[in-house]
Parts: sequence; structure tokens; C-alpha cells
Amino acid sequence: METDLQKIHIFKTNIDKIYPDCAINTTLSNHQDIQQWSVDCEDIDRVLRVVSEKLQPEIIISIINELGHECQELA
Amino acid sequence: MRIRDIDKENLVIEIAIDQIVRDGFQGFSMNKLAKACSISVATLYIYYKDKDDLIQKIGAKVALKFLGGTIKDFSPDMSFETGLWKQWENRAAFTMKYPKEVAFFEIIKHSPHAEAILDSIQEFSDFRAIMKQFIDNGLKNKELIPMSFEAFWSIAYGPLYTLLNFHTEGKSLGGKPFVLTKEIMKEAFQAAVKALKP
Repeated sequence: METDLQKIHIFKTNIDKIYPDCAINTTLSNHQDIQQWSVDCEDIDRVLRVVSEKLQPEIIISIINELGHECQELA
Repeated sequence: MRIRDIDKENLVIEIAIDQIVRDGFQGFSMNKLAKACSISVATLYIYYKDKDDLIQKIGAKVALKFLGGTIKDFSPDMSFETGLWKQWENRAAFTMKYPKEVAFFEIIKHSPHAEAILDSIQEFSDFRAIMKQFIDNGLKNKELIPMSFEAFWSIAYGPLYTLLNFHTEGKSLGGKPFVLTKEIMKEAFQAAVKALKP
């Protein structure tokens, strides 16, 4: 099924690498309100893409900030 | 509120193909693409997870269009010569109509993305089955000499692609101007068929 476009959130970050056991990976993968996520580490904006029905962008930003990374919503 | 805009999606695909054909995968970036399409980077990421995801999704779309074009009005039950000629006509028509897509498909085919793309298309295994049946029929009806698949392919399609490359470049050897005509195509086809027949 196609993902509802309203549930996709896009952010500019400074996450430069994702390891299997890094904090970003464990936190986002184990978050029950996140259906899908990915970071394009090759892009200059290190774009984080999160698919979530429930989470508001501000919540996602604070999660990423708490893990020590910059994060701002791309509109 | 985000609304799906098919025109914009098609524009993204068209410009992505242009940029990849021109700059290759290395020179291509999501940021450059968004800028060229006058859309925000965010919009691009709504549809594609990253550069690889975009390349694979667009690659699958182009591959599907190419496979569909190749088997148009073709049946594996045709006699070997008729069926192969249909294939030549279809492949030539597609290359002349969509030169950029073909150039893009060539880049994809020789990249590490090729397997992932072709495996993602259900129609590709159908296509392979149709072509296998066509070759098997040719062998069974003694219209084709048994040979290794690669040798078969190089003789059956190699001459066509050489001519199509000349045509796309607009010149043949030594810079001689060249336009592919049906007569030249038929000439090469008959020599290829002769080589393949028992």
C-alpha cells in the first residue's frame, strides 16, 4: 500500500553515518510510533525521512536533538 | 496538506534521467535534481528515500517501458525469423523514440543497481520466460542451431545494436554520416539469420 503523504516527515540533519548499533538506529528502529525511517548520509543535507502516523515533527526533532544531532524540518 | 502531483512526479523522472545520462551516478545529487525541477528537497524526499532508491525506482519504470516495447505484437509462437525481425523492429523503434531512456537503461544495466531493479519487476521474469520459449521453439523446429546463449545473443542482437549506436551518434566509422534505414537493417538482419540457421 502507498504511504499517506501526510505521514512522511522530512528533516535536514547532521547525522553523518548510521551504524547497526548506533543510538539513532536503535532509538528510531525501536520506537513504536515510527513505521519507517531512513537517513541519506550521502546528501549534503543528510536528510532524515520518518514515516509516522502519530508523531509530530517537533517530537521527532527533540528525539534527534537528545541524541546529540542537529535536526530541522524541511518544508 | 500534501497533494500528489503527477505532472511534477513525471518532471522529476524526466530531469533525473537527463542528469544521470549527462553526469553519471557520481555527479548526480538529490539537491541538484530538486533545484533543476524547482521543487524543494523535502518534496523529493517524500517520494524517494535517497539517491539509490530514486535510481532504482526510476530504473524499474524505464526497464518496464523498455520490456513492454520489446515484446509489442511479438509472440514466442512466431517462426524464428518472423519473431526475431519483430524484435529488431521493436527494439529499433524504441531506441529511436526514447534515446535518453535507452542511454539511461544502458547506464543502469552496467551498474550495481541492475540486479535489484530487474528483480523488483515481476514482468521481467515473464519476459525471460517468453524469450526462452521463443528460442526453444526455434531449436525444436530446427530453425536455429544450438549454441551457447551468449554466442546466440551476440549474433542475434549484436548487429542491430551496432547499427543503432551508429544511428544515435549520427555517424559510422571514420565520422561518415549515418542514418539507419529499413533497408540497411534488413541487410544486417538477413546476414544474422543466415548465421543462426542450421
